[in-house]
Amino acid sequence: MSEVATATRSAVVPEGLAPETATETAPQAKILLVDDEPKSLFALQELLSTLGQNLMIAQSGEEALRLALKNDFAVMLLDVRMPGIDGFETARLIRSRERSRLTPIIFLTAAADEMSSMFRGYEVGAVDYLQKPVVPEILKSKVAVFVELHRKSERLKESEDKLRRLAAHLISVREEERAHIAREIHDELGQVLTGLKMEVTWLAKRLREKPLIEKTDSMCKLIDTTVQTVRKIATGLRPEMLDDMGVIAAVGWQAKEFQKRTGIRCRAKLPPEVKLDMDVSTTMFRIFQEILTNVARHSRATRVDIELIVNEERVGLEVTDNGVGIADSDLNGKKSLGLLGMHERALLFGGEVRITGTPGHGTRVSVSIPVQPKA
Amino acid sequence: MTEVKVIIADDHPVVRQGLRQMLAVEQDLTVVGEARNGQEVVELSRRVPWEVAVLDYNMPGKNGLELIKELRQRYPGRAVLILSMYPEDRYAVRALKAGAAGYLTKESAPEELVSAIRKVAGGGRYVTPTLGEKLALELEDNRGKPLHETLSDREYQVMWMIASGKTVRQIADELFLSPNTVSTHRTRILRKMNMKSNAELMHYAIAHHLVD
Repeated sequence: MSEVATATRSAVVPEGLAPETATETAPQAKILLVDDEPKSLFALQELLSTLGQNLMIAQSGEEALRLALKNDFAVMLLDVRMPGIDGFETARLIRSRERSRLTPIIFLTAAADEMSSMFRGYEVGAVDYLQKPVVPEILKSKVAVFVELHRKSERLKESEDKLRRLAAHLISVREEERAHIAREIHDELGQVLTGLKMEVTWLAKRLREKPLIEKTDSMCKLIDTTVQTVRKIATGLRPEMLDDMGVIAAVGWQAKEFQKRTGIRCRAKLPPEVKLDMDVSTTMFRIFQEILTNVARHSRATRVDIELIVNEERVGLEVTDNGVGIADSDLNGKKSLGLLGMHERALLFGGEVRITGTPGHGTRVSVSIPVQPKA
Repeated sequence: MTEVKVIIADDHPVVRQGLRQMLAVEQDLTVVGEARNGQEVVELSRRVPWEVAVLDYNMPGKNGLELIKELRQRYPGRAVLILSMYPEDRYAVRALKAGAAGYLTKESAPEELVSAIRKVAGGGRYVTPTLGEKLALELEDNRGKPLHETLSDREYQVMWMIASGKTVRQIADELFLSPNTVSTHRTRILRKMNMKSNAELMHYAIAHHLVD
C-alpha cells in the first residue's frame, strides 16, 4: 500500500491497466476516493474494483482538489474526518468551481456522527451520507447509479455537440446555396433577358407595320416584368447589397423595405460604412431579418427602432419595438424555433442574442458578435 | 457631327452583342473595343483612344465602384457610364458619387442609352427622370419635414394601410381596433396631411415610395 500512499499521481487502475495516460482516454467513468487512511482506501478500492471503472484516490482534501481540477468525476466518495481540509470544506471548495459544480459527493464517516454533521454534509452538496463500516452491496449499487448517470449525461453532451455542429453546417450550406442560386438567377437569367430585350429592340427598329411594332413593344414590357421578378427572387434569396456594400447598408435597406411592406415605421441609426467579415455580416443580417419577421408576425407594433454599433471588437445590433412585448413563456416555448435559430447563428461566431420583453411595453432584442470571427 | 468612341464592358456575350448592334446604327457612335471584366477594361482603356466607357456594374474581378474610381483617376476628362442589372434607387447615387457620369439600368430603353452616351460624351451628367425625381424629393424632404413625418406611429400605419387599398373594416380587424377608432385616425391623418380623400393619400404614398 505504501507506493499508493506516496504516489503523487494517485491513479490506481484495477486489472493492471497503465495509469494516467491510458486512463485519460479510457471510456471508463472516473471515481474519486478520498480518505486519509490507506487502509480505508484500500478497502474501498477492493470493494469497487468489480465495477470496472477508473478509480482514482486521494489521501487529503488538497489532493482531492487538485484532481478535481483536471478530471470530471462521475462521483466522489469523501471521508469527513481528515487532517488539514476536512471533508465538508473539501466538498465546498470542489463545488464552488465551475467544472465540478455538479459532481455528486457521497460522504463517508467512521463515527456514528450526530444529525447536525449530516445536515452540514447535505448543505455543501452531498447527495448521500454513509456510515462506516459501509455495507458493500449498498455502496456498490449507489456508486453504480452515479456511474450510469454520468455516462448518460456524457452521451447527452456528445449528442448536443453533434446537433450543434450539424445545425452550424446546415446554416452555412444553406447560405452558400442561396448565394449561389441568387447569383445564377440574377446574373445568368438576368443577362440573357437583357440580351433578349436588345434583340427585340433591334427588330422593332426595323419594323414599319403598326401591329408588329405593338407586338415587339409588348414583348419588351414582358421582358422588363420578368427581369423585375428575377431580381426580386434573387434579392429574396440573398440581397446583393450584402456582398456589394456590406451589412450596414443592407440593414438600412432592409429596414426601409420592411417599412414599405408592413407600414410599421422603422428608424435606423447606422454607423458609417465599414468593411466587416462576410460571415459575421451574413449572420448579423440574417438575425436582423428574423427579428423583423417576428415583429411583423407577433408584436402588433407601430414602430421599430434599430441601432447598429460597430467598434473594434464587436458589432452590436439593438432592435426595439413598441408592440405587445414577448412573454417569457414564448421565449422558451416549442414555437420559438426561430429564436433558437437566432441564438445558434450568433453562437456560431461567438456572439449572443438577448431578448427581453415586457408585456404591453414592447420587445428588445440585442445581438452582439465579435468582429473577428473565431478561427 | 463628331464621332464618339465608346468602350463597352460586360461579362455576358449576349449583352455585349446587343450593345454593339444597338450602337452600330448610330452614325456618331463607334464601339472601339470590348471587355469582359474589370482587368480587361483597364487594359483596353490604355490601348485604345476612347471618350465614353459603358460598364456593367457587376463584373468578375474588380467591383464596379473601384473600377469607376480607377478610370476617373487615370482619365479625368472622360466619361464612365454604368449600365447595371441593379435597381437604380440603391446603386445610382453611389456610382455617381464615385465619379460615374451616369447610371442606367438594363431595363432602360435603347434610345435612353444612346442619348445618355451623347450627353456624357459632351461632359454632362446623365440622370434618369425617375432618379432625378427621387433626388428632388430628398432635397425637398431635407428642407422641411415631409408631411407623413408629422403623423404619429399609429397614424402612419393606418395611412400606409389606406394607401395600400385596405378598407376601414379590414384595417380595424388587422389592428384589433374598432372601426370608429380607425375612422377617427383617418380623419386626423387627412387633416394633418392637408388632404381630402384616400385617393390623394394613395397618390402621395406612391410618389414618396412609402408603398410598393
